[in-house]
Amino acid sequence: MQQFIQGFFQAVDPRAVIYLLLGTFSGLVIGTLPGLTATMAVAILTPLTFWLSPNQGLAMLIGVWNSAIFSGGISAILINTPGTPASIASTFDGFALTKKGMAGLALGINVVFSFIGGILGVLALIVVGFPLAKFALSFGPAEYFTLAIFGLSTMVAVSGKSILKGIIAGFLGFSISLIGLDPIFGSERFTFGKMELLNGISFVPVMIGLFGIGEVFYQIFAKRQVVSTGAQPVTQLGRVVPTFKETKSLTPVALLSALIGIIIGAIPGAGADIAGLVAWDQSKRVAKKPQEYGQGSLEGLAASTTANNACLGGALTTMMALGLPGDAVTAVLIGAFIMYGVQPGPVMFRDNASFVYTVIILMILANVAFLAVGFFVSKLLTKFLSLPQSFIWTTIIILSLIGSYAINNSAFDLLIVFISGFAGFAFRLFDVPLGPIVLALILGPMAEANMRRALILSQGNFATFFTRPISLVLVILSVISLLTSTLKKKATNGGR
Amino acid sequence: MKKLLVAFLLILATLLLAAYPDKPITFIIQAAPGGASDMTSRTITSIAQEILKVPITCTNITGASGAIAMKKLQTSKPDGYTMGYVPVELSMVKALGYADFGPQDFDLLMRIMVIPAAVTVRANSQWKTIQEFIEYVKAHPGTVTVGNSGPGSIWHIAALSFEKATGTKLIHVPFDGAAPAVAALMGGHITAVTVSPTEVKSGVESGQLRILALMSDERSPLFPDVPTLKELGYDVSVAAWGGLALPKGVDPEVYKILADAFKKAYESETFQKFLSDRGMTPAYLDGEKFKEFAISQYNMFMELIPKALGK
Repeated sequence: MQQFIQGFFQAVDPRAVIYLLLGTFSGLVIGTLPGLTATMAVAILTPLTFWLSPNQGLAMLIGVWNSAIFSGGISAILINTPGTPASIASTFDGFALTKKGMAGLALGINVVFSFIGGILGVLALIVVGFPLAKFALSFGPAEYFTLAIFGLSTMVAVSGKSILKGIIAGFLGFSISLIGLDPIFGSERFTFGKMELLNGISFVPVMIGLFGIGEVFYQIFAKRQVVSTGAQPVTQLGRVVPTFKETKSLTPVALLSALIGIIIGAIPGAGADIAGLVAWDQSKRVAKKPQEYGQGSLEGLAASTTANNACLGGALTTMMALGLPGDAVTAVLIGAFIMYGVQPGPVMFRDNASFVYTVIILMILANVAFLAVGFFVSKLLTKFLSLPQSFIWTTIIILSLIGSYAINNSAFDLLIVFISGFAGFAFRLFDVPLGPIVLALILGPMAEANMRRALILSQGNFATFFTRPISLVLVILSVISLLTSTLKKKATNGGR
Repeated sequence: MKKLLVAFLLILATLLLAAYPDKPITFIIQAAPGGASDMTSRTITSIAQEILKVPITCTNITGASGAIAMKKLQTSKPDGYTMGYVPVELSMVKALGYADFGPQDFDLLMRIMVIPAAVTVRANSQWKTIQEFIEYVKAHPGTVTVGNSGPGSIWHIAALSFEKATGTKLIHVPFDGAAPAVAALMGGHITAVTVSPTEVKSGVESGQLRILALMSDERSPLFPDVPTLKELGYDVSVAAWGGLALPKGVDPEVYKILADAFKKAYESETFQKFLSDRGMTPAYLDGEKFKEFAISQYNMFMELIPKALGK
């Protein structure tokens, strides 16, 4: 109890709260800008926080982290470009809502459900921390492979109208993910002797090109074509705050998505991007209007925004209970904790219990902080859409280029942005869905490396994927998911 | 008049030289923000910039095991305003076939630290000592799985060197970085790992993991009870290391200013605490000795890696 009180006062120390707010604002900016990721934000701020006392430094990092994941959804909704990879799934329904003139409400949903997801994630950390971390450890290569397959079974759902086009897009994504060093032998694949290609095509520039630049090119083109779809002007914002009734009707979806987010967050090496995509697909099963998914469904948006913030609590659980990174950001946070003199892992609950409480309370405060400023900032940002189109397009292109260059300080990445930008434009023209490409790029390498790892461990025996319980359950879920979504799609498309 | 001008220019030139550094220094980090290389670089440069009285801006350039960043450093102007961090991969990338340079193509400033490989198993496993482990592996060739941080990585080389020195046969399982390998060890999916003590420290402290041996010349001050393979009669020593480098051809005076400033930063209490917190062994070597060391490592990897990877 004394530890709790001590930890509590460390967290609510006015200076810590000021740094938390500072972090929240930095996170808002970084998260909204395409390309600048939460991982990068936390990593760059970490050395700066060493000049602060641990509770203040921690407050800043936790503030940045939580609000960057939340605000990545803002650009996903407004300009169809995920601000961080965690918000990829938020583009599906978020931008569709913007096109319908409901940008305000979409942003409001993003605020409320990011908050709900974040809080549920922290609750999981408090209530089931150790068992959850133990469960995460039971994931070996076989389980990672089947988890990736389960994620990939989403492909049909994100395929839009034509399953065939979706699958072609998916295989294109797989092919791109093959470029670089072989994960097991280390031999070069499709690198054409270019040093820049050794690590493969970086994911973030591809994402920005396909979604951001591709969208801009398409809008410019479509405008010249004179839009005949009769869509409402995007400048119409609508209200921001969702009603109580709306919030309540989205609760089942949110709860399932939070659960998915927490579990995926806790598993080392799987993060918020995967959580958002899987939750978006799986939540359809409890959704009231699953047929609206991808056409501007509030439920679909609530699912992805809940899951990516719930992921944080899960990742933090693994980090604190095991001392292992649950995702990319926690990998950086481990370094920060060590510098503060706290070794993450089970011993920290014994030796630094008050610090554990400080972290938990700061996580809650960080969620409250972005809830408080989120509505205001979202309302402010929607004004951006009422600017002249040409201005919006230029801004998106400039920000996208800055963001992509900043990741690796690499001009080569800019080339990738442009190539994927043109590709994204062409895909829109021919109605090829982007979801499958992104899904394959994220999960393809995970599936490949872990399948081969699992086969090394089982000495080439494929039975390993079916004899291990978690792996078997994931295989069965994948089959069910694939069958039901294919049949549903066939039904709604009239057997096409 | 002409003489005056020459004199003036001479004075100006001396002033300019004496004034080094008078503008920000760019520091190239070969790894992503947040890792060991990045944290080491950012910590030492933040101290050194106070000593040099100019800002040092860190730039992360990733890819190809750091080869892209090191290539960029190598081809930068040797004016003392571009420097960078060089890890053990400096001596490895040529052997791996990623790049065409080695340590001899740089002006090395100093070595900062070494991290030896640690042979680690689960604490609840049957092996209490490294001898027991080696005997078991000998009795069961080709069945014990050992995780490393990626094909051709220094921790992969460590496991290969372990095999060679002890005359055993292991199954190597490459992971995408050391942390996933440690997670797989904790979860019981593999038998052992040969990664840095930094990565397994938390697991050791919480009683989940046990370090059987270090692959270093001397015992680590962080784990004084853990024997080295050398003292048990196995001639093997594999460690990751890190240091600072400049493009080749830097003016000796500029070199000295930087060497002195960074040595001071290295010796500072803040930096020493940083090293021990992160489980790195402080291992200062001046530029000359660092070069000798890096080249001997280079020769070793040139022989070892092609054999190991079948390249």
